[in-house]
Amino acid sequence: MDFYFGLAQTLGVHTLLGLSVYIVLLTGQLTLAQAGFAAIGAYVAGMLTVIAGWHIVPALAAGSLATSLVACAVAFPALRVRGLMLAVATIAFGEAVRLFFFNFDYQVWKGDIQVGPLGGEGFRQIRFFPENGWSTLEVMLFVWACVALVMAALWWTDRSRAGAVLRAVGEDEVAAQSVGVNLTAVKVSAMTASGAIAGLGGGLYAHYTTHIEHANFTLGLATFAIAYPILGGLSSVFGTLAAVVFIQGFLVEGLRFLGDWRNLLFGALIVLAMNLRPRGLLDAATAARLKRLLTGPGGAP
Amino acid sequence: MSALELAQAVFDGLLFGATYAVIGIGFTLIFGVMHKINMAYAAASLAGAYAALLILLFVQAPALVVFLLAGVAGGVIGLVIYVCCFRFMPLAAPLAPLMATIGMLMLIDEIIVHATEGMPLPYPALFDNVMLQLGEFTLRGDLLLVFGVSIACMALMLLLLYRTRLGLATRAVAQQPVAAQLCGVRLTRVNALTFLLTGLFGGIAGAMIGASVGTLSPLLILPVTIKGLIVTVIGGLGSIPGAIVAGLLVGACENLFQFLRGVTERDIYVMLLLFVFLVFRPGGIFAPGRGRD
Repeated sequence: MDFYFGLAQTLGVHTLLGLSVYIVLLTGQLTLAQAGFAAIGAYVAGMLTVIAGWHIVPALAAGSLATSLVACAVAFPALRVRGLMLAVATIAFGEAVRLFFFNFDYQVWKGDIQVGPLGGEGFRQIRFFPENGWSTLEVMLFVWACVALVMAALWWTDRSRAGAVLRAVGEDEVAAQSVGVNLTAVKVSAMTASGAIAGLGGGLYAHYTTHIEHANFTLGLATFAIAYPILGGLSSVFGTLAAVVFIQGFLVEGLRFLGDWRNLLFGALIVLAMNLRPRGLLDAATAARLKRLLTGPGGAP
Repeated sequence: MSALELAQAVFDGLLFGATYAVIGIGFTLIFGVMHKINMAYAAASLAGAYAALLILLFVQAPALVVFLLAGVAGGVIGLVIYVCCFRFMPLAAPLAPLMATIGMLMLIDEIIVHATEGMPLPYPALFDNVMLQLGEFTLRGDLLLVFGVSIACMALMLLLLYRTRLGLATRAVAQQPVAAQLCGVRLTRVNALTFLLTGLFGGIAGAMIGASVGTLSPLLILPVTIKGLIVTVIGGLGSIPGAIVAGLLVGACENLFQFLRGVTERDIYVMLLLFVFLVFRPGGIFAPGRGRD
């Protein structure tokens, strides 16, 4: 059973990463900085629980806050360019963060062992959960409580005025600007929120794996993060969730019996999925049909 | 550490930077024509270089034949990418081809890992034991060859773009796809040919990278992709002279930082260089008046 709880934890963290890209994609921007954001959240939250001895909740909040500040600071120069150039700028940022942690040492003595990040060897002994006797089930529930919180917040944002502004910028910048929307403010806030969510995901990841290193936060992770909302479609947050289950649950775990062939199939299936459903698995039309199905004929508002 | 060693490091980097420039031109051309980025381009280039190694299994071919075959294989792979990732995508969904090419990048990476079992393969080189003494400088013969071939590729590409009917059609499609179509330019054909040609040059660039590093390894794919994209952005998206200058600049800076700060920190400074450009010159080196994307 613990295997499935562990899988659910992975799904939860990947959903957070996917959602953090979702909010940026709504404004029509691309970001591949998610691995860098997750790394900052993971190292900050990990250092706070291990070295400073904080409880997990304030440590995650601090990691999330620190990441959002970095995201805000990066967003100003990066958002001077748009679209694909922004993708390259965020790739460079993510790689710079990863290389920073590759060269980052900060170790302290705790009892008779040294703890803390150690360059290429990574950051071992992030043992808040085992030390405090949390079972795998409890950790999984904690992760999914965080995911549910973030999803509810994003779902509500989508339905509020703020969501309309985000989508307006994504649909047509000139039109949005001409009705008085401040483009820079909208994009930078979306990036800041994205940093906060990805930082939270990184913090959770650091604590359930207990060992992080720079190699966990490569461009590959950022690619996964951006794949979820694109594959899931941008019509609702549930698309991202569906894509996480499809990729992590089916393509990665479900096809494990294929052995080495799984990795080959993986890329090919993504190419195929994008050809068949260029607007995502759960695109606007499918979402509307599902809604009609759920609310009954004629029941949709 | 002397000024001479410093100059030598910059010079070696400059020579190697020529391969970055060719990869950068490929990215920039596809972007300029299709307004979409082909993330799998660098992977396809290295895959072309790998595919050319197949001939060594049958006959002892000279290095030059291997380089040319790499170009042919790169062109074919470029065409496959066009058909799989761009041909059937609606124009209104710009994210779909991006994601599809990322999927393609993973697929090519995995195919190479599978076929070679992840082991680096030795790559044939020309003039690798020639050392030119130029005053106090030493010029590595193989790097000089890489530089020469890359410059020739660039010249050929510029010639194709500005002196042939195909180049005219390509530029017309880049400027105004609808107007070009009204003048009788076949959009799909021009797009496919652009992919074929950039793939061809990419394959040669991949072979050059293999020849100058000495081995080909799947681990090269990601760094070359990132460096190629950085070159494209520093040079300005869609600008060919920009990509050339930026490629040489990135190559030189990379070697300089490696000389000064060591190999683990090298790439941090290359990324910072990109951010410096984003802040002070977001449109790239040769930004046109309106610049930006």
